[in-house]
Amino acid sequence: MNPPFDTRSSLILRLPDKRDVEAWDQFVAIYEPLVYRLARAKGFQDADAREIVQEVMVAVSQAVERWEPDSERGRFRDWLFCIARNFMINYLTRRKYRSFGGGGSSMDELLEQQPAPDTNESAEFDLEYRREIFRLAAEQVRDQVNADTWQAFWRTSVEDESVEAVAEQLGMTPGMVYTARSRVRARLRNEVQRFQQQD
Amino acid sequence: MGNKLKHAADSELNRLLFGDDQAGHSETIAHVESCKTCRARLDALSGSAAFDTETRNMLAGFFDGRSAGDVQTKSPIEAAAVDCLSPPRHPEMLGRLGRYEIERVIGSGGMGVVFKAFDTELNRPVAIKMLAQHLSFSGAARQRFGREAKAAAAVVHEHVVAIHNVETEGDTPFLVMSYVAGESLQARVDRAGGLDTKEVLRIGIQVAAGLQAAHDQGVVHRDIKPGNILLEQGVERALVTDFGLAQTVDDASLTQTGIVTGTPHYMSPEQAIGKPTDPRSDLFSLGSVLYFMATGRPPFRADKAMGVLNRICHEPHTPVWQDHPEVPDELSDVIDRLLEKKANHRFRSARETQHTLQKSLANLQHPRRSQQIAKRFVRRHRRSLRVASTAAGICLLSVAAVFFWPTAQPAVEQPQPVNQLSAASEPKQFSIETWQQASPAESQRWANSIEQLQHGLQRVEPSSAFDSPATPGWDTQLEQLHQQINQFQSGASAH
Ligand SMILES: [Zn+2]
Repeated sequence: MNPPFDTRSSLILRLPDKRDVEAWDQFVAIYEPLVYRLARAKGFQDADAREIVQEVMVAVSQAVERWEPDSERGRFRDWLFCIARNFMINYLTRRKYRSFGGGGSSMDELLEQQPAPDTNESAEFDLEYRREIFRLAAEQVRDQVNADTWQAFWRTSVEDESVEAVAEQLGMTPGMVYTARSRVRARLRNEVQRFQQQD
Repeated sequence: MGNKLKHAADSELNRLLFGDDQAGHSETIAHVESCKTCRARLDALSGSAAFDTETRNMLAGFFDGRSAGDVQTKSPIEAAAVDCLSPPRHPEMLGRLGRYEIERVIGSGGMGVVFKAFDTELNRPVAIKMLAQHLSFSGAARQRFGREAKAAAAVVHEHVVAIHNVETEGDTPFLVMSYVAGESLQARVDRAGGLDTKEVLRIGIQVAAGLQAAHDQGVVHRDIKPGNILLEQGVERALVTDFGLAQTVDDASLTQTGIVTGTPHYMSPEQAIGKPTDPRSDLFSLGSVLYFMATGRPPFRADKAMGVLNRICHEPHTPVWQDHPEVPDELSDVIDRLLEKKANHRFRSARETQHTLQKSLANLQHPRRSQQIAKRFVRRHRRSLRVASTAAGICLLSVAAVFFWPTAQPAVEQPQPVNQLSAASEPKQFSIETWQQASPAESQRWANSIEQLQHGLQRVEPSSAFDSPATPGWDTQLEQLHQQINQFQSGASAH
């Protein structure tokens, strides 16, 4: 999916702290697929779901324009993920799809929104958020290790095949499969923690 | 191979885990292969068993049939399930599973995927539920799936979705059910909001009847929720689906780690803490479903799943009537009764629940107006009791306690309430004295409250929802409450 619009360059000018720009990039990486998936789960067609992703990104990036580094809101990253979460939960709680696009007063609402604290949607959202972090982490780790190492992990850990069977098919010793699985598991855990900690 | 006897140091295992590659560690790898201790240590250094389970839940099917960077158009579980099908005979079909032509996916969840399909032998549409792949790898889950599905297949009832066939032999276990054209109760409420009372009662009666049929066969549902109640198009019939299958998922992954993947909103307290469940657990869930139908929201809500479970176990729900005055008290009371934390305080059976709901529906259609008004009157009053000034509040609540917590009443056969009786009379003494010291405005307000309570009481009639083993002797209680109020009033006139 293409980024709906180029916020990044204007953000680099706006956000003096390099870590804040990284935070935005990470936000987009997590939220684009997450919002898309949630929208599809709610029954929206592909094109509509993409439109919703775009709207959410626009709305949140407009909110970012109002970010004050010196405020008591804490770190940019925390603030960003917090407003986006509130926004998404409220969005999902609406019974019908309604456009959010414009700025103006809706932006003030967005910044002040508290999540509706007790909905199916917030539990669902948090679960899907966690799932997205796992997926991102898995993609990164998969790129770091060689294909057989990844296969050894995937088939024994996720697909629950026996170590012996996988070792035979991949032409490895069982010890190598154990080791490969543990190497991937350790990296995956670290990646997940890295994403999670920054929350 | 002297290393075989000497365990690997953590520093070496960490190098093995986090080094750039596995080269140069062949001795350690060989040792790990044969040494259980070091294997366990390697696992512990790289992650816990709970992390493995979560990884499986979060990633199952994720990379299947998917090239990097693609946006996913279907859920991973769905994609994995479609991969299990043979190629279709018709281009407009999704695939084939034995004698069934699969048309499309009609639902998916943590436990598996549901397809709409066509039975080519019997020439009828069916729904096929396929166990998710990560579950079908577990022998225990497969066995359980087969056992539970066969038990559920024995339940034949007009308000239970019929199971035609259970296949556990092949690679992917699946079961074949009647296809119900319509939508789930969840979808209905999402679309249209809370339902009106007649509809709530009608659906509640049907679900209770279906539950009773299952309970008669020794089948407990364990996952009663709006998503598992189907509303058949046109004929307005409610059908319960997915009997007994929740346990399959529990066995395979959930209870080991306490990770809750589905919606926990409709679980019973005994389920939430992992205790064994019986039919009364389904009654609690039914109470949550009735609540959801009446209000559009489940009774226990929180930000996180654990928070929901905590509330289910420890916190009272807000009674329906408080935020929804349009919902009749009778229905609100039935829901309260079903949502009792202790199973033995709920209705005794689905049948009893069904009958109570039927009576409520009859009353709604032919209301005995005085009864409704009187009950509402007392109830409203109860709310004002809570905000009364402290001294007056204490004595009013002691009256209300007799009324609303009827176990405080002694009965000849029941030995234990003796001290509760004296406990009930002590605050009475205390409160009369307190009242005598209260300010004129306060005591006036209190006198008014007592009078209102008395008026209300005179108009109350026994209600089926109150008449139960937990609240024996309604008549006796009313009588005693009258007596207590008289005592208060004589105390007041002495003042
Ligand atoms: Zn060892």
